[in-house]
Amino acid sequence: MEQLELLMGGFASALTPINLLWVLIGALLGTAVGVVPGLGSAMAVALLLPVTFSLEPTAAFIMFAGVYFGGLFGDSTSGILLNTPGHSSAIASTFEGHRMAKSGQAAKALATCAIGAFIGGLIATTLVVFFAPTLVKMATVFGPAEYFALAVFAFLAISAVVSESVIRGVAALGIGLALALVGIDGPSGTARFTLGTPQLFDGISVIVITVGLLALGEVFHIASRIHRDPAATRIHTKGRARLGLADFRTALPAWLRGTAFGVPFGLIPAGGAEVPTFLAYGTEKQLAKRRNDPEFGTTGSIRGLAAPEAAANATAGTAMGALLALGLPVSATAAIMLAAFQQYGMQPGPLLFQRSGDLVWALLASLFIGLVILVMINIPFASVWAKLLSIPKHYLYAGITVFSMLGVYAVSSAILDLWLLIAIGLIGFLMRRYNIPLAPVLIAVILGPMAETELRRALAVSEGDLGILVDSPITITLYLVLAAALALSAVQHLRHRANRKA
Amino acid sequence: MSITQHQSEAGSSVEPQGKAMSRFGTGRSEFVVVAVLYAVAIFLTIGTATMNVQGKSAPGPQFFPVLVCIVLYLAATLLAIHILRTPNVPDNSIHPGHGQFSADMLHDLGHLGKEEDAAYEDAPSQTPGKTWKTYSDWRTVGLLVGGVVAFVLLLEPLGWIISAAALFWLVAYALGSRRPIFDIGVGLLFSSIIQLAFGAALGLSLPSGLVGGIL
Repeated sequence: MEQLELLMGGFASALTPINLLWVLIGALLGTAVGVVPGLGSAMAVALLLPVTFSLEPTAAFIMFAGVYFGGLFGDSTSGILLNTPGHSSAIASTFEGHRMAKSGQAAKALATCAIGAFIGGLIATTLVVFFAPTLVKMATVFGPAEYFALAVFAFLAISAVVSESVIRGVAALGIGLALALVGIDGPSGTARFTLGTPQLFDGISVIVITVGLLALGEVFHIASRIHRDPAATRIHTKGRARLGLADFRTALPAWLRGTAFGVPFGLIPAGGAEVPTFLAYGTEKQLAKRRNDPEFGTTGSIRGLAAPEAAANATAGTAMGALLALGLPVSATAAIMLAAFQQYGMQPGPLLFQRSGDLVWALLASLFIGLVILVMINIPFASVWAKLLSIPKHYLYAGITVFSMLGVYAVSSAILDLWLLIAIGLIGFLMRRYNIPLAPVLIAVILGPMAETELRRALAVSEGDLGILVDSPITITLYLVLAAALALSAVQHLRHRANRKA
Repeated sequence: MSITQHQSEAGSSVEPQGKAMSRFGTGRSEFVVVAVLYAVAIFLTIGTATMNVQGKSAPGPQFFPVLVCIVLYLAATLLAIHILRTPNVPDNSIHPGHGQFSADMLHDLGHLGKEEDAAYEDAPSQTPGKTWKTYSDWRTVGLLVGGVVAFVLLLEPLGWIISAAALFWLVAYALGSRRPIFDIGVGLLFSSIIQLAFGAALGLSLPSGLVGGIL
């Protein structure tokens, strides 16, 4: 039980008053960006990264831990009260959650979400603590060909399997890879696509790309629709969120089932919480049908809400494990966390546990502390958080625009970065307008350089023989699973197309 | 990322029935994306061809860009063909994640049926009373883009406090705030707090510009 000892050490360094303050700030910020539609933890971390750069890395990561989980605590609020999920991870909880709110059980629904997020996150983070060393051991047998296969898997899973249109997904992937190419090529020292500008020798900062796509792109998109889309009607809730003992007993099995769906998806690069939340919702729906539950689909079933909520946070929990131990980001949010490590000069993966063990265990400990704080600030104050939904949109987005400029300028005090920000913001707007997924761009920007280095390393060893890429059982398995997933998704698209025509 | 943006497409983007549906451009404005993709691909091609290669590693620095170029040309061409064959028609089924995730896949995973689709359709806000010529409100987007461009140009001469307050004011105005005088105060307060909190406390250097010169 060496892990427990290390975790206790982590708690010791995370439980100082100043670090507790950072967790609290992170949790407050995270919940706030979760409640407000259109924002999310990925954007929050990207904006905080440059302005907190003068902090000590441990303090910064402790705060990011609060933001990371916090975004998933608040995300169902707007879905439940407005019937407009602000985040794709909350769509599955909106179906039953809004029905509960309409039938006067809004407080119960909000409490179910908060406790569900807590249980899912808690179980998943505990699993990460116990299995991280196993993952690290697994990762040490990975060579260049295996890492390249992992990157290809992530690229195609996110751009082709889970996205709506394969062509648009791959186009997004191409844009991301192109952005990642700019700068000095590490192995050879060649300047690539910099147009001779020394400021671009280090490449385009990940922060500029993330803030442009997620923050400024969103602001432009809101601007294109704000005078046209009618406002949603809001259900008001008063007092604290509460859950009786009987309801708790009803919801408990659903929370656990949801967690079981969420945990494995933290290790699969499928874009985050959407797939497991829908799986969890679908299961509850089938179960309700079998037991003739009259609430499901009418007044709202607490189970249909509990399961997806727990699934979302369980996915986020194990995703942190995959990120720390393998260096593999499975969602856009995880990709930004990876970028955060790189900003501080650390590379997640097997070596991280050796080189920066203290920081890793402090981070894991603060994930637990963050969950406790989040449940404490979410249940009693649920209706206070819901008030964030009544902030006038024009002030909200004006603030975000100014803050994006601040964050990007803070990276290196360069005006060139601001021009790039505007250009990437316009690309983000176009992508939203034409339903092109954003996650492949972020994954490509983060994993692109790794894929290139590993591919060239593998080919240099084999002297150009492509056979080395499919030379080990691990790579063969990865490519086979990927091929099967692509085939399944093709069949699915064709079947639905046939159904629509019929 | 909300699905609400998608549903409203049905009501507002369609041209009045019986007219203009025959025009070639209708539902094909996505060619802008094709153009962007080709532009990026051509930029990469020229950059790769004229690259001043250092060192003699094989595969060298041009290897990966060539692969990326192939991906981009392929995606752009296939997208163009796709747009030609199926122009963007309004679509009413639920779209979780607004294109981020395959609706087909999520319908299967969640055993979604008509009742979930209907949950969104009976929302009171379904049919806006008015239709517009373009799906996007280009006046508002234009104001915002102009605002951020002006901000970048004026940041160093005017300093953070004034230019950020002006940007805040402009965005609030463009997005529909009706209290312009009050907003000047909010904007100045916001930019000054940022200057104090991040400039003084966290040590970020923000341009002081005019105000700094006077003080």
